[in-house]
Amino acid sequence: MNTPDNIESILLLAALLFCIGMAGVMIRKNILFMLLSVEVMLNASGLAFIAAGAYWGQPDGQVMFLFILAMAAAEVSIGLALILQIYHLHRSLDIDKIKEMNG
Amino acid sequence: MSPSDYICLLPLIILALASVIVMLVIVAKGSHKTIQFVSLALFALAFASLFPEAVPLPHAVPPLLLMDRFGAFVIALILLSGGVVCLLSYLYFEGKEEGPKEYYLLLFLCSLGGGILAISQHFISFFLGLEILTIALYALIAYLKSRPKAIEAGIKYLVLAAFSSAFLLMGMALIYMEVGNMSFAGMSGAIRDAPSLPPLFLAGLTMLLVGVGFKLAVVPFHMWAADVYQGAPIPVTALIATVSKAGVLAVLIRLFLALEVLSFPRAALGIGLLAVASILVGNILALQQKNIKRLLAYSSIAHLGYMLVGFVPGTRQSFESLSFYLVSYILATLTAFGIIACRSSKSEESELLKDYQGLFWSHPKEALILTISMLSLAGIPLTAGFTGKFYLLLATLEPDYWALAFVLVLGSAVGLYYYLRVITTLFGSYPIQENTPSLPVTSFYILCLSLIGMLAILTIVLGIFPSPLIEYIRGIWIS
Repeated sequence: MNTPDNIESILLLAALLFCIGMAGVMIRKNILFMLLSVEVMLNASGLAFIAAGAYWGQPDGQVMFLFILAMAAAEVSIGLALILQIYHLHRSLDIDKIKEMNG
Repeated sequence: MSPSDYICLLPLIILALASVIVMLVIVAKGSHKTIQFVSLALFALAFASLFPEAVPLPHAVPPLLLMDRFGAFVIALILLSGGVVCLLSYLYFEGKEEGPKEYYLLLFLCSLGGGILAISQHFISFFLGLEILTIALYALIAYLKSRPKAIEAGIKYLVLAAFSSAFLLMGMALIYMEVGNMSFAGMSGAIRDAPSLPPLFLAGLTMLLVGVGFKLAVVPFHMWAADVYQGAPIPVTALIATVSKAGVLAVLIRLFLALEVLSFPRAALGIGLLAVASILVGNILALQQKNIKRLLAYSSIAHLGYMLVGFVPGTRQSFESLSFYLVSYILATLTAFGIIACRSSKSEESELLKDYQGLFWSHPKEALILTISMLSLAGIPLTAGFTGKFYLLLATLEPDYWALAFVLVLGSAVGLYYYLRVITTLFGSYPIQENTPSLPVTSFYILCLSLIGMLAILTIVLGIFPSPLIEYIRGIWIS
């Protein structure tokens, strides 16, 4: 593998995506969009892994990305099941409306 | 892989196979009782295979895993917690609206994840173990899916755990970018000669700590803990408080020891601040809780703070005291949740403090066991909790760490208030209204109660004769 020259810009892109995702989780009130934003964050770290793997000329970064993909898929499947159940119980996906516990 | 590798990983292989076996038993239409007995037998089998005579420890299974005596010790704690939770689950889930069978499968996956974490020495096994653990936990927390609180707790845990996993992964990626190696040993070679930590590495380590902090629920990453503890079924709450904390702490200890991060003052300061914040905030928030599950959630935040104190000196003695404290914390927590599970009826969990008003006069055994567990959590002499706290304090009694020792003592003093409030409730006057239906006493109830009673006795025995366990732990850390 040949090392990419513009490694900084790739890392910068990953950091930017990560921040977009983080802002989404914090600002959005709809659970579906929060889950989407988390996916953006996970993929941003996957991009950083691929960049790092390419930088060192090792396959490890891509191996890690495959594991991240698998984990994200498992998580989304459980997340969507929970979201269906929430909609069933509350007829709403607004995080403020489903809140029952506090203290 | 050589045969000795398989022998030494046998406990984890059994746990992985166990989830498949449970699935087969479900397909064969086994009853809840059958599945319960099969699961208990499999936990016992995994425990028995933990200390192989044929393979001397430490035994590395490169590149991902390293089975040493510390790993075996933590896996033993995880299997113990898993077994106790498994037994409690029968009592809790029998007659519940949800079929309890698939629950056991997820329980095995959870223990498997914790076990992998305990022996991992590579970022990939760290990540995989953590995700096996947390993804199984998502489903476990929301297992009673018709209860709004369980679903709310499940989605909260899911969003925050995935959020923290993203932080963890980004941190790992940055560290990998800096050092070009993902195994703990390889990383330490890359930064050992550096006069101070490289900025990219420091940024990565901070993000990694944020991720791990969420999983351990230390302040300021603790906001999910109380809601999830309250919403989850009681056995699952016990699982979160023991298995997931033990596994994550073990991998954190491994990472820090391999990287020798604690010799850099900035890293030690960061951990110290997390510890102080957790002790103070956890104890203060616990003061006004009326729900015993939430109270235990905040108390576990404080206890994780105490354990982080053991990280800061970075000496062998401090890790010894940390290991002892972990044992005492797990014993006391399992006992407390065990009694709460025993006291809960089919439709309602007895989680409010007033449900325990005057329990001693109606159910003296349960009340005494809960009292012992509260005393141990509070750190009263003659319990394991006191010995653990004493050793932690000894490890911090050095000129540099007087502030930590002070906060440790202050936190314990504040904690005394709410633990004693639980105890005074137990021994208080019996409520006048007599409309609480008495729970049926089944053979499983007696079995559970005697097991929890044994854990409580063990807590006291370790408080009076701690030396065998201390010798054992010392043996772990010398090698």
